[in-house]
Amino acid sequence: MASLSEEVLLVLKKVRQRKQDGTLYLMAERIAWGPEGKDRFTVSHLYSDIRCQKISPDGKAKIQLQLVLHTGESSTFHFSNDSSALTDREAAKDLLQQLLPKFKKKANKELEEKNRMLQEDPVLFQLYKDLVVSQVISAEEFWANRMSTTNTENTLSDKKQDVGISAAFLADIRPQTDGCNGLRYNLTPDIIESIFRTYPAVQQKYGENVPHNLTEKEFWTRFFQSHYFHRDRISTGALDIFSECAKQDEKGQVPSYEGYGFSAAASTSNPNRTGKENSNSAIIKRFNHHSAMILAAGSRRGDAPNDQASETSSTDGNSRDSDLFQPPIKKVKLQEAIDYLDLQREDGPKTVALNLKKSDRYAHGPVPLESQKYTTSQDIINSITCIRHEMANYVPNLAQVLTSSAVSSAIAALSPGGVLMQTGTQQAINQMVPSEVQGELKHLYIAAGELLRHFWTCFPVNSPFLEEKVVKMRSNLERFQMTKLRPFQEKVQRQYLSANITGHLEEMLQTAYNKLHAWQTRRMMRKI
Amino acid sequence: MKLNIEGLLVYFPYDYIYPEQYSYMLELKRTLDAKGHGVLEMPSGTGKTISLLSLILAYQKAYPLEITKLIYCSRTVPEIEKVVEELRKLIEFHCKETGEANNFLALALSSRKNLCIHPEILHANIVVYSYHYLLDPKIADLVSKELTKKAVVVFDEAHNIDNVCIDSMSVNITRRTLDRCTSNVETLQTTIQRIKETDAAKLKEEYRRLVEGLKEANVARVTDVYLGNPVLPAEVLQEAVPGSIRTAEHFVGFLKRFLEYLKSRLRVHHVVQESAPQFLKDIFQKVCIDRKPLRFCAERLRSLLRTLEISDLTDFSAITLISNFATLVSTYSQGFTIIIEPFEDRTPSIANPVLHFSCMDPSIAIKPVFERFQSVIITSGTLSPLDIYPKILDFRPVTVASFTMTLARTCLCPLIVGRGNDQVALSSKFETREDFAVIRNYGNLLLEMSGVVPDGIVAFFTSYMYMENIVASWYEQGILENIQRNKLIFIETPDAAETSMALEKYQEACENGRGAILLSVARGKVSEGIDFVHHFGRAVIMFGVPYVYTQSRILKARLEYLRDQFQIRENDFLTFDAMRHAAQCVGRVIRGKTDYGLMIFADKRYARADKRGKLPRWIQEHISDGSLNLTVDETVQMSKHFLRQMAQPFRQEDQLGLSLLTIEQLESEEMLKKISQMAHQA
Repeated sequence: MASLSEEVLLVLKKVRQRKQDGTLYLMAERIAWGPEGKDRFTVSHLYSDIRCQKISPDGKAKIQLQLVLHTGESSTFHFSNDSSALTDREAAKDLLQQLLPKFKKKANKELEEKNRMLQEDPVLFQLYKDLVVSQVISAEEFWANRMSTTNTENTLSDKKQDVGISAAFLADIRPQTDGCNGLRYNLTPDIIESIFRTYPAVQQKYGENVPHNLTEKEFWTRFFQSHYFHRDRISTGALDIFSECAKQDEKGQVPSYEGYGFSAAASTSNPNRTGKENSNSAIIKRFNHHSAMILAAGSRRGDAPNDQASETSSTDGNSRDSDLFQPPIKKVKLQEAIDYLDLQREDGPKTVALNLKKSDRYAHGPVPLESQKYTTSQDIINSITCIRHEMANYVPNLAQVLTSSAVSSAIAALSPGGVLMQTGTQQAINQMVPSEVQGELKHLYIAAGELLRHFWTCFPVNSPFLEEKVVKMRSNLERFQMTKLRPFQEKVQRQYLSANITGHLEEMLQTAYNKLHAWQTRRMMRKI
Repeated sequence: MKLNIEGLLVYFPYDYIYPEQYSYMLELKRTLDAKGHGVLEMPSGTGKTISLLSLILAYQKAYPLEITKLIYCSRTVPEIEKVVEELRKLIEFHCKETGEANNFLALALSSRKNLCIHPEILHANIVVYSYHYLLDPKIADLVSKELTKKAVVVFDEAHNIDNVCIDSMSVNITRRTLDRCTSNVETLQTTIQRIKETDAAKLKEEYRRLVEGLKEANVARVTDVYLGNPVLPAEVLQEAVPGSIRTAEHFVGFLKRFLEYLKSRLRVHHVVQESAPQFLKDIFQKVCIDRKPLRFCAERLRSLLRTLEISDLTDFSAITLISNFATLVSTYSQGFTIIIEPFEDRTPSIANPVLHFSCMDPSIAIKPVFERFQSVIITSGTLSPLDIYPKILDFRPVTVASFTMTLARTCLCPLIVGRGNDQVALSSKFETREDFAVIRNYGNLLLEMSGVVPDGIVAFFTSYMYMENIVASWYEQGILENIQRNKLIFIETPDAAETSMALEKYQEACENGRGAILLSVARGKVSEGIDFVHHFGRAVIMFGVPYVYTQSRILKARLEYLRDQFQIRENDFLTFDAMRHAAQCVGRVIRGKTDYGLMIFADKRYARADKRGKLPRWIQEHISDGSLNLTVDETVQMSKHFLRQMAQPFRQEDQLGLSLLTIEQLESEEMLKKISQMAHQA
């Protein structure tokens, strides 16, 4: 089954799957498992289908690796080689760790895109439910001619902006006590990425230490234990791998400043401060640093390599104050500061002012309707007197009324079943059928329409692919008729004996069958 | 644009003008005509500086004999740079309009790096520099003493001028100062010894000069060349240096004795407060130092340093400080107080003795300036209440005026938040300072505002301590986390470098659209001199009323002095001081008529008439009765409304004829009448 050209990256023997011994293969684009002594794979997953891998905790008797697919299914492999089970598992895990992200991005993007489309378009979502979830057609078929439109969108939004980092991301790691003198920190990949982007020093440490010195878990445990993470940051033990980060940060925090407007004398720290004050000022320091790092992370993207240089060189225009060497930026800033734009003649582009008819509405947003519908008792009294007044003055114009017999015949003709109402039966559907049935019917129409659209796009049938598809579509249509339309008809018949509301649907399906039949007979004729 | 200000042709380098600028120039011209002093308040962002420069320059051009020089003083280097840039623009415009080559010489002294060579000042038409060059006796003597009488002196951003005056005349002596003095004296001694061996003639020559007295200087002052130096009182000039300190060795010995005495005074265990005469009496009794040689101390040291040809004076700052102290304490029997504190109030266990020789009368330092120059203009965006400055600086202005900002749309929105949503009264007053309910409500206010206000928010606290406590408490309550979801947080620290870093990052975050909050302190670095134009500050929140720390003995002494000498009640002065700082803080947000911003006063005490009435007129007139005691929710609602309205494009046409005038509009009869009325209102 495996094509010959496929490159095998790793082969691991004695891997059990469903209590069966076998061999695990990791290839360039997929992972596969075949039972012992057989020449085919019973399990095969493309990397792009895999959502994540999970491993059994250290110290468990069974050493396992689980792959969770995007569809929600999973396969579990049990490494049973006595001598090297753990190393085997680690090897597979590490390789997967490298491979998965490469495929993930692509898969994820598509998946996200599909997800978004379904969420934004309720009709499409219903269609998806009707056709794919009920297994009338496969998901691939469903998306086949939809993704083309999304692809063009994709190219447009290719250069989209990076999402910044929430300043409060550390706050989202809410530590929880686990009941036995320990703390649990919830780390998600997003938070980890935020930490790395904000504190490149931590990422560097991660790169240096994981996995050769520490496991990932140990690394994060140490991170949270370290004073680096904690607000006070008072003393950092020598063992702490993050003490270096803190020092590095300190260096970054206070560049040699000679800016003026600030006297240098003010920067002497007071040695007499108490511990409480010290920790307070540590909080302040940390907030400044944290915000600065987040800001830097936002701008670091894109121009990473030359960032360092530009940052140090353009820290402050104020630091060099000789008139001759005024940096241009500072000069411009000064000019800006002294210029009164409105005192000069305008030659900028004209802007268009919003013409607000109800500025209150703009400022406050919509107001609940009640307040407008509210009628005061005065209004009611007024209208009553008004009506009373009109009634008092009412004079019937008896010369222009119809005779009573003409009136009663007209009423009869206009009542249901009357002469003038005969043609109106069709429109009665929306009166006769309750709204839930109507909704169901609507969905049926949409689903049928979609299938028929697939069907009719096959004509003219001029390629083997289309031939295959048209036959498949016919069976899809039949399946639709069987699984969806029939039950509905039965349900309707049970409730409303006479109403043949699915007639048109059947007619449409029949037309399609006829067409296919005609095409097939013609083809047979030709072959003969 | 060429303006006609009561017959004076003024070149104004813009095509349009604000009505208040015209009015300001009018008042300024009248002050100059009367050869008197003036106090002028005009909101920042209405082009005060350019109006001032344009008018005085034109005046100088038209009456070169009346005014020969403009001395423009500002506080910080960035402000000085701004003035220089405006001046450059004005002169360029001038040259273009008149077709003449530039015959103005303007000079800016900003920092020691580009300190000018001093004869040039004599020739410059315009000198721009820092207050200290004129007020600080130590520097003024070097730089400013030869300035001509026919000069106009402008103190811009002068709302703090009394404090600058006081600081320039006050001396604080710690143990460290004295230790450095001792080493200074030793250096002097060895240098004298060396010179005596190699070049004894030099010292003899100095001795001869001192016998003749400081007559030279006296001659100069009489002939009107020198600016009076408060450290060098007139009597000193008429007398010879007393014999006891005339030789170099004797003088050094004298200094040693004086130092020993000061050291003994620092060895106290309780707080001592005494007047200058008491101090003199004590020093005479203890170490037999007379008043007279003390008075000559500063001058004698200067002479010695000159004779010894010591070039690097910074090493001798300690001994210079002590000798200045000696001269001051023996010269002024009034207006100063001596307080010796053995330790700081907050840390009574750690000995850190300080001798404060503190000036309580700002008029002492500025007196020579008022006496010497024909016109002194004191101007700022916030000088309210206007009558207090002439009082505490002891001068008589010919003009006192406050100009409001004419606005085509109400672009500032002052709101007073008096209550939390739970009706807890918001206040930073001492009794409720630690109250969690208040702190929580303050946090809630900031949190809500962070979700409503775009771009930058600046918040001010009354003191650094207070801010630290609140930030810690917000952190523990998780309020800061929630704020972080909306905006980045930057905080001012006592460290100058760290603060400027935070400030820069704050601006970057506003600039790139992320939005940020800057927490800072009234009276701090940020509250003065840093502007938050446009999106750099859409709202200022003032948490509490920034009263000065009232327990300080120096302040108490000053308050007493103010009460006795100037009949200003303690509370009036404290409120005045708090309100001018509050006004400074909130004033940071509006820098011009196209700008807009919220000013949120988060303390119910602001609603009282005695507080509110001390705000500058241009802020006061926008506080409506409906916005005096708002809850947090109401504030948020009103802010939303205001911000949405302000976000609409604002064009020049909207302003024209109302808050912006063409030359034709300006010259119309009706407008002139309106403008003259505006000035009279003050």
